[in-house]
Amino acid sequence: MSQPVPAPARPRPGAQPRSSGLSRRGFLAGLGAVGLGATVAACSSGSPSPSGTSRGGVVDLTFWNGFTGGDGPVMQDLVDRFNAEHDGVDVTMTTMEWADFHAKLPAALTSGQGPHIAIQHLDSLPTSAARGLLLPLDDLAADLALTADDFIRPVWDAGIYAGARYGIPLDVHPLGFFCNTAVMAGAGLDPADPPMDRASYEAALDALLANGVAGHWMSPHTFTGGQTLQSLIWQFGGDLLDADGATAAWARDEGVEALSWMVDAVHRGWSARDVGQDADIIALQNGQAAFNWNGIWSINTLDGISGLEWDVRRLPRIGSVDAAWAGSHNFVLTKQKGTTDDQLEAARTFVNWVSQQSAAWAVGGQVPARRSARESAEFQALAPQAAIAEQADDLRFPPSIPGIGDAIGELYTALNEAVLLVKEPREALADAAARADQVLADNRDRYGA
Amino acid sequence: MSARRTERARRGLGAGAVAALVLVLVATFVGPLLWMGLTSVKSYGEATASPPTLWPHEVDLSAYERLLSLDGPYPVLRWFLNSLLAGVLHTALVLVVASTAAFALARMPFRGRGLVFGVIVSTLFLPAFVFLMPNYLMIDRLGWTDSVWALVVPGAAGAFGVFFLRQFMVNLPVELEEAAALDGANQWGVFRRVVLPNTRPALATLAVLAFLGNWNDYIWPVYVLFSPERLTLPAGLRLLQGAYVTDYPSIMAGAVVASVPVIVLFVLTQRFVIEGVARSGLKG
Amino acid sequence: MSAALPTPRRPLRRGAWWTPWAFLAPFALVFGTFVALPAVRGLWMSLHDWDYLMPSKPFVGLGNYADLFDSTSVVFQRFWDGMAATGIFVVASVPFLLTLPLLLAMALNRRFPARTFVRAVVFLPYVLGVAVVGVLFRFVLDPNLGVLNHLLGLTRLDRVLHALGAGDPVPWLTAQPWTWVSLVGVTVWWTLGFNTIIYLAGLQDVPRELYDAAQVDGASPAQRFRHVTLPGLRPVLAFVLTMTFLASANMFGQSDLMTSGGPGTSTRTALMVILDTGLGQYRMGSAAAMGYLLSIGLGLVSIASFWALRERGGGGRRRGARARRRAAGGAS
Repeated sequence: MSQPVPAPARPRPGAQPRSSGLSRRGFLAGLGAVGLGATVAACSSGSPSPSGTSRGGVVDLTFWNGFTGGDGPVMQDLVDRFNAEHDGVDVTMTTMEWADFHAKLPAALTSGQGPHIAIQHLDSLPTSAARGLLLPLDDLAADLALTADDFIRPVWDAGIYAGARYGIPLDVHPLGFFCNTAVMAGAGLDPADPPMDRASYEAALDALLANGVAGHWMSPHTFTGGQTLQSLIWQFGGDLLDADGATAAWARDEGVEALSWMVDAVHRGWSARDVGQDADIIALQNGQAAFNWNGIWSINTLDGISGLEWDVRRLPRIGSVDAAWAGSHNFVLTKQKGTTDDQLEAARTFVNWVSQQSAAWAVGGQVPARRSARESAEFQALAPQAAIAEQADDLRFPPSIPGIGDAIGELYTALNEAVLLVKEPREALADAAARADQVLADNRDRYGA
Repeated sequence: MSARRTERARRGLGAGAVAALVLVLVATFVGPLLWMGLTSVKSYGEATASPPTLWPHEVDLSAYERLLSLDGPYPVLRWFLNSLLAGVLHTALVLVVASTAAFALARMPFRGRGLVFGVIVSTLFLPAFVFLMPNYLMIDRLGWTDSVWALVVPGAAGAFGVFFLRQFMVNLPVELEEAAALDGANQWGVFRRVVLPNTRPALATLAVLAFLGNWNDYIWPVYVLFSPERLTLPAGLRLLQGAYVTDYPSIMAGAVVASVPVIVLFVLTQRFVIEGVARSGLKG
Repeated sequence: MSAALPTPRRPLRRGAWWTPWAFLAPFALVFGTFVALPAVRGLWMSLHDWDYLMPSKPFVGLGNYADLFDSTSVVFQRFWDGMAATGIFVVASVPFLLTLPLLLAMALNRRFPARTFVRAVVFLPYVLGVAVVGVLFRFVLDPNLGVLNHLLGLTRLDRVLHALGAGDPVPWLTAQPWTWVSLVGVTVWWTLGFNTIIYLAGLQDVPRELYDAAQVDGASPAQRFRHVTLPGLRPVLAFVLTMTFLASANMFGQSDLMTSGGPGTSTRTALMVILDTGLGQYRMGSAAAMGYLLSIGLGLVSIASFWALRERGGGGRRRGARARRRAAGGAS
């Protein structure tokens, strides 16, 4: 809303209005431009027609997601191919930041202005289902012949809420260990043999530091710091939540150890200070860093940089066990008033079609959700993706509880404060856990246990 | 003789200082905009290279190709038109409701006038965000979410506009009204033929402020608009920046496409706008 | 015609009793629906646990307000951190936004060839809008990719900043207090022109005779400024102060686009917290309560500043009148 300045006026008695001196020509020209613009806008702003179809029976669908990385163009490509192959359907894809997406989706759906198809992470799917925003898709899953043993357990379970399936898993996207092999070689490290355990990893960082390179930039942001921290917490034997999912567990010793390792890297010079959003992977691209733990979706980003020599492996074991953060994208169909049966049918066709393009999506830097697709020759031929997929048995996922996003958000605040050296790790984690416990309790009240 | 020389020297020094000031101002205010333009025609690799290059080694227009359609996922030109439409409609509505209400409060005695005026003025002290949440619900109830009406109507009945115009109208000499009355005009005639024309400077000022306020409004459009083709410039650029997180050529290209029509419009109406803003501080 | 008789200043009564109400009707309709009703409804919402997405909205009385003063609640931390951020920004930005435009206006308040062009150039950022400005400076100020740090390096000015404690590269958007410096700087760049134009009009409104009279009295430029310019500008100053204060207290766009409230949550203003709580997490009752608390705070500060400026308004006018009388009597 734009209320003009609410400052009370002090009247000056007797003051005569100044002659405006406005250039008549300028004013009229301005009005003319404005009028023209308004007419054009009025003519061309088409509204989605209530029947869901425009122009001779073509069904219009909207599809929202958060693929702002190298995976975005690949999905757009799939959408374009679908549109080309299906004459009667036109899908429009919009990408926005995930944080924004999660904030806007509920309001958009409740007011009937949201998308018909959307992507949900496995940790946000229960929340949306609990809020009544999604349509059950058990029959669609049956069409695709999905069975539990074809999936990693958490991925399969996350799509089910209150006994019905709300999501079709599209992929699994783990964290990978990316290296700039040229920088490694420059510091005397063997580019074909990156360090895979704590001792050799830290030795490599020291060697890089001696060569004037901050080897592994620690990100204080959700992407990628948040995922790095979660991986490390699991590697050190800790967990995000207690077994019953009632309280946060990251403030225990294992969590403190994990976060402290990241903060130490900053203190020791293995990492630059105050790393900006995405500055860590850009540093890798520019030869200012050697290692970066980033999502598998970065494969295409790095591929697009000409002249960059890089490699990717599974995460090294810094803690006592192997573990790597992974997320999973799910297709969901949204429940909102105004969606016609035609649109629903078309949306199911879309989800069905894209789910079967796992090879193409894998090229986009994803690991297919289905074991059978993962083990196929086609996928194994994609070396970087296959390398990351090696850790399939050690993948850990965020918990799938309604409202969990808000609780984990507190962990990201602790990460930010600690890595930016504003708070000590133990204190930051403890404060965050206290807040998260409240959020979790609140959620139980709100969504039912 | 020496007095004249020192006088000329002082004037010369003055001219030099002014020239330096003008140079600094232009560099400060135009420089970043030039950088915006230069970045928009670089390739992604070049734009994110460290150290940055000044001129692009090779002009790369792919960012513009992505953005310059009216139907793509990030239709910057359409956002501009949406902003323009909302601004014009909003300003028109503001002028209509504020001038009629101000006329009633300034020139027509009636029972309860003081109370009405008091209620209006009392909302002057309530900042805009207090109304955000309830207005969101109201817009939702009316079915106006994701539409231009959500941008045009809610803020149109601000207390400031009425207050401002009323101040002005109260000071108009009553002889004007009487002359019109003698000619047989009723209140509407007096309003249209006498009061409005004489209030023109204040109306112009209010129009400029209302338009600028609506144009620059960032928060409300972000929360009330959803579909990419319905966004206004501020909300749209925010979406663009979120979608192309580090693809600075694309983001800068979006900013350029957003700026060029604005700059053109501003150049055409510049004196009008600036004088309108200037007058707003004078309460004349 | 009626020149002989003194015209009574009675406003005319013309038309039916409902004419005034007819004129008020359009305003009343919009005002009632979108100002009066929400003001009350917001209050009502603040007394409930109003979650937009959930079917039930239980009454909690003053619970939402109490939570904001209960240090163990989640909202307490978020809200007061937000208020602190808003406070810091207001204190840091208002002085610059008051004084720099005034200085610039005084510099521009003389005839020189490119004056209209310069005025337009200075005002241009405001017209471009906060979104263009925000995304532009998000890039320019990026510690690693931004051109500002590159230029500072080229001119060795970054040494000065390092000496002041800044890291390398200077963390304009990722560390404090540099992030505040950036936000204030960008806000000044964006809105300097707006305040300058208003000051310019105010300066041009100060009667020339007052300056002449002061000069005749032998006043130095500094004294002329203190005794002629400032008092003459007092109403404009009050206007600019109130406007600038409210704009700074409502800062949202710059933080949202440039820092996303970071580093940590240090630049997440009160308004950002309110919006995230109400329209991001859909807890509108809590957000409404926060909004009312914030507006009470703003109101108190507004009243205080208004009172402070009003106090000496009469004195200024008296001094001006004295100077005017002297000018009329003295100059012969």
